[in-house]
Amino acid sequence: MGSGAKSTHGCCSLHPGDGYLRSVATFRLQGSKVLAVDMTGDAVKAKHGSMVAYDGQIAFKKLSGGGEGLRGMVTRRLTGEQMTVMEARGQGTCWFADRASEINLVSLRGEKLYVESSNLLVTDAGLRTGTTFTGLRGASQGNGLFTTTVEGHGQAALLSDGPAVVLRVSAQYPLTVDPGAYIAHQGDVRQSFQSGVTFRTFLGEGGGEAFQIRFEGDGLVYVQPSERNTIAGDV
Amino acid sequence: MSGYGMPGGSGGPTIHDPLTLPVDDNVDAYTFCVELKGSQWFLQKGKMIAYYGSIDFNGIGHGRLDRLVRTSFHSPLHASDWVVAEGSGKMLLADRAFDVNSYDLDEGNLTIRSGNLLAFQPTLSLKQSIVPGFLTLIGTGKFVAASNGPVVFMEPPVRVDPQALVGWADCPSPCHHYDHGYLTGVMGGLRAMTGLGGASGEEHQFEFVGAGTVLLQSSESLMAEQATGAVPAEPGVPGGGGAPGGQAQGGGSPRLPGQLGDLQRRFGL
Repeated sequence: MGSGAKSTHGCCSLHPGDGYLRSVATFRLQGSKVLAVDMTGDAVKAKHGSMVAYDGQIAFKKLSGGGEGLRGMVTRRLTGEQMTVMEARGQGTCWFADRASEINLVSLRGEKLYVESSNLLVTDAGLRTGTTFTGLRGASQGNGLFTTTVEGHGQAALLSDGPAVVLRVSAQYPLTVDPGAYIAHQGDVRQSFQSGVTFRTFLGEGGGEAFQIRFEGDGLVYVQPSERNTIAGDV
Repeated sequence: MSGYGMPGGSGGPTIHDPLTLPVDDNVDAYTFCVELKGSQWFLQKGKMIAYYGSIDFNGIGHGRLDRLVRTSFHSPLHASDWVVAEGSGKMLLADRAFDVNSYDLDEGNLTIRSGNLLAFQPTLSLKQSIVPGFLTLIGTGKFVAASNGPVVFMEPPVRVDPQALVGWADCPSPCHHYDHGYLTGVMGGLRAMTGLGGASGEEHQFEFVGAGTVLLQSSESLMAEQATGAVPAEPGVPGGGGAPGGQAQGGGSPRLPGQLGDLQRRFGL
């Protein structure tokens, strides 16, 4: 993917301390539910149909997510993690929003971000996207067995139902998350699936939190203040 | 409440860890953090979104918790919707991205719509209210409630819209109030049914008089009602003998004096 022309902005990074210079499009939030992206000849990848307005000269082209090339195409077919993605390229400002969901900005400096494709709104075109297997955790979230990865240097915008809470996972503080509230994680994190299903669950006296994901290692986990409907919701 | 604000504003979103998370306070308007130090909290099933530390969730009815249920849970029929969290660590609670807030009761009592109550300390005791669909908390302690939009506190005497009512504290007497001038007679019935001729949609309110506080949410969209459990089918028990929670504002506006019955009723079906 072409990373486009170097930005002509003086300072286009939202995070002055970040120190990455390859920044292309500038992401800024207008309120908490609309994302404005300033582009100067470069491109962003966005969820299909999420553009709400644009100003200037911007062209939209359909892409498909899940990874590039033939291998990506096969992966997408096999995994069902096929988000339809469009590429917006040009000069001007483009505004994105999706069903009045809250938008959270994440800046990546070489880390890998794991996110459900339905929660991914916009990424820098310079970021690589792919698909990984999540196993039981994915199944418990009701989002399929595969998840989308975003990797490289740049910014990504995540969608959440209510503003996401960012929680740090470190060696002494592992974190446990409800699968329905999980939206994304980044960093060097191991995850394991915990099941609290006991015979009581089948008697209708379960603890209400029968499935949990435990994160250990070093990184960040994004959770939303709302739970998707999962198979674990009622047990 | 910590200002979540715009994450891009000041060097990225706030990153929380167990040391920076508040103790028994809001993380943001939609998320509440509870600290457990070997203590217990009651919470509605499925409202925990994440936790640090080691916390166990047990359904009420778990043998070991029988005593706890006896002392602080006087509504056994309703107990299956609640779990006890115990252990040590910090736990985040949230409910469908609604506003959450905590309230302190000091030797007090508060009645709340069943769908709005998220969690409470076992020092409080939870009982079914006589008013169907409502629960009453009695005692001293903290509880967490959700609302659609921030909660507004009002002093009686006040008349409130049924959909905006979250609860009331310290026993004001709640009753129905109808604007009879608008609703009686054939014309009133026609107005109420068809909306023609000036039905404002606000002819029915709840009226509160007496000393106390009334809690309102700043929106008229209700939160899904939680079953409060059936009441004993005895004469004189409101809602008793009917379906659980049946009487509570079941089919829109109640049947009013002077209003024509619907077809089924007129044919006795």
